[in-house]
Amino acid sequence: MEELIKKAARRGQKTLSEYDSKQVLGAVGLPVTQEKLALSQEEAVLAASVIGYPVALKGCSDKAAHKTEMGLVKLGLKDAAEVASAYAEIVDRAAGLDGVLVQEMVSGSREFVLGLTRDPQFGPCVMFGVGGVFTEAIRDVTFRVAPLTTEDAEEMLEEIRLAKLLDAFRGSPAVDRKALADALVEIGELGCRLNEIAEIDINPVIIRGSQPVIVDALMVLNGHKP
Amino acid sequence: MDTTGNNANLEKFFNPSSVVVIGASNAAFNLGATICKTLKEDIAFSGDVFAVNRGGEDVHGAPGFKSVGDIGRPVDLAVILAPAAVVPGFVRDCGENGIRNIVIESSGFSEQGTDGRRLQAEIAEAARRHSMRIIGPNCLGILDNRNRFCCLYGANQLVQKTVQKPGTVSYVIQSGGVGGLVVERLMEDLPGVNKMVCIGNKSDVDESDFIDYFTTDNTEVIGLYLENVQRGNKLMAASLRCPKPILVYKSGVSEAGSAAALSHTAGMANNDAVFEGACRQAGLIRLRSPEELHALPKMFIDMPLLSGKRIAVFTNSGAFGSIGADLLAETPLAMARFTSRTRESLSRLPGVFNAGNPVDIGPALPEVYLQIYDILLSDPGVDGLLHVVGMWRDYVADVMSELVELCRRHRKPAALFCFNSMARVRTARAEKNLPLFNTLEEAVRALVVSHQQFHYLQKKEKKRGRAH
Repeated sequence: MEELIKKAARRGQKTLSEYDSKQVLGAVGLPVTQEKLALSQEEAVLAASVIGYPVALKGCSDKAAHKTEMGLVKLGLKDAAEVASAYAEIVDRAAGLDGVLVQEMVSGSREFVLGLTRDPQFGPCVMFGVGGVFTEAIRDVTFRVAPLTTEDAEEMLEEIRLAKLLDAFRGSPAVDRKALADALVEIGELGCRLNEIAEIDINPVIIRGSQPVIVDALMVLNGHKP
Repeated sequence: MDTTGNNANLEKFFNPSSVVVIGASNAAFNLGATICKTLKEDIAFSGDVFAVNRGGEDVHGAPGFKSVGDIGRPVDLAVILAPAAVVPGFVRDCGENGIRNIVIESSGFSEQGTDGRRLQAEIAEAARRHSMRIIGPNCLGILDNRNRFCCLYGANQLVQKTVQKPGTVSYVIQSGGVGGLVVERLMEDLPGVNKMVCIGNKSDVDESDFIDYFTTDNTEVIGLYLENVQRGNKLMAASLRCPKPILVYKSGVSEAGSAAALSHTAGMANNDAVFEGACRQAGLIRLRSPEELHALPKMFIDMPLLSGKRIAVFTNSGAFGSIGADLLAETPLAMARFTSRTRESLSRLPGVFNAGNPVDIGPALPEVYLQIYDILLSDPGVDGLLHVVGMWRDYVADVMSELVELCRRHRKPAALFCFNSMARVRTARAEKNLPLFNTLEEAVRALVVSHQQFHYLQKKEKKRGRAH
């Protein structure tokens, strides 16, 4: 996992692709979506049948940070025919993809954002807040300086304005706070351990039932370090 | 970390037995001369004061010399007020003559571009070579009311007055103007200033060093005014070591996140959001205005900390009872729900209009006030009191003095606010040392920060326990 990051940094990559970012997060125990990188239409259809419908397809590349805007994301594909045509459409739109990511669809109405940034005075800092496409408009986020204790992480969950979303809500059970807090602690550990990681965006984390699932992630690498 | 060595180094900044003011002369508008005048004429500083200037002339009774080397006696502290370009030379002179503590009040350093940064680096190099500790450059200086020492330049009669009333709040102020604010306001308030130090560009000694120092001296409350934090983790570590309340006001909150950030996280991480998180993590009480630096410390002097969130409001004005309840609703605190026993006891008293929360009374005798205090503080569902009262008779101040005693006995705090009879209020504050807040908002904030400190103390103990 560390090798993956160091190699990408050596190659001069600015970011890790969604697939690679989630490989790193999954390796340290964070709950990421079930997914497979397909290199052909046939592989995509096969992967989708293994994962189970509906699935999402996403064009995958470290240069594709804004996949939705580039038309590289196809959601809610219900059968092999839809997967095959979505695959063709995605590879048609962008050259130089690593492949096409076939991913389980995660449904849940509550979305959060987790992240890492490096502050010039405080060093690596972990963020938690309300996620989804309106994250920056809502700006309901809070920070802690890494490394975090479990109590630090638990406090973060309670201090966003919309903390009520973590409780039982409109028929959904309360969010597994421990799972979220553990994830925040772990992100802080990554920031302390690997200087090659400059920033991490994990958005959205969708709550399925009570469990957080990382649906999209982006790791920004530190180009200044050799 | 062992901070003993650090503190021993800093002691001479506040309690020097001899001081040289470098750059003090008899020229018109000379700033160094104002320091000589303060020390020799205004506050009767007990140690030796020397002046260094080109002519070697005496300044306000301080013997003058052409250079530090000519003084011929050991000197504890040098205060430098000379043009930036010649400061590094003076710092080296001090180092070679055994002076280990230096306050550089001159400006023209890192705050002023490349040349200034180069001069500041030269100073830092000299300081390292001679193991000197440096405050500044670009700062106002130091005030110690207890040791009767002051090297603030341009200080006026204010200093004469403030050293008469040494207090218990110590301040670290990055920029001089706020220093004047807190010193002047606290002359008329309960706690008073113990020490104040302006740190300016903090090329060497910074706010964290002084938190460590104030952790071990006779300070009871620490106030910080910061414009930037250069060593974030050092500040957090110092705060976690300190059991005393640390109140911090930081300016510059609007600074935007890095425009070059690729991720949303970095885009939303402006320095204020990160600082806020660091404060909560390390137990620094963040203030909302510079006024809170002098308004809130009194809550920590005689009152126990607020250990829970349930507040009883007690008033002799229905209006202010409602306003108090509204203000509390905007905080993490809550209105207490009284036990039936409390309600019954209250309703039996003469003059009680409302035996619920807020408790509202009409014209009543002192005994009634005292009984209500006792009933409310004895209720297990009440953690603290917000007392909003019109001082319609002199005895209101007397019963409030007793309330402070009752609070100590019950280990529950009260925040006091009087909404009328300002002359009586001023007298009560001066003669009875009552912790009266200037506004109802301030009194509510005092309860909030008291509870915050209670929570922070527990957190600090836990984190320290884990570190051992």
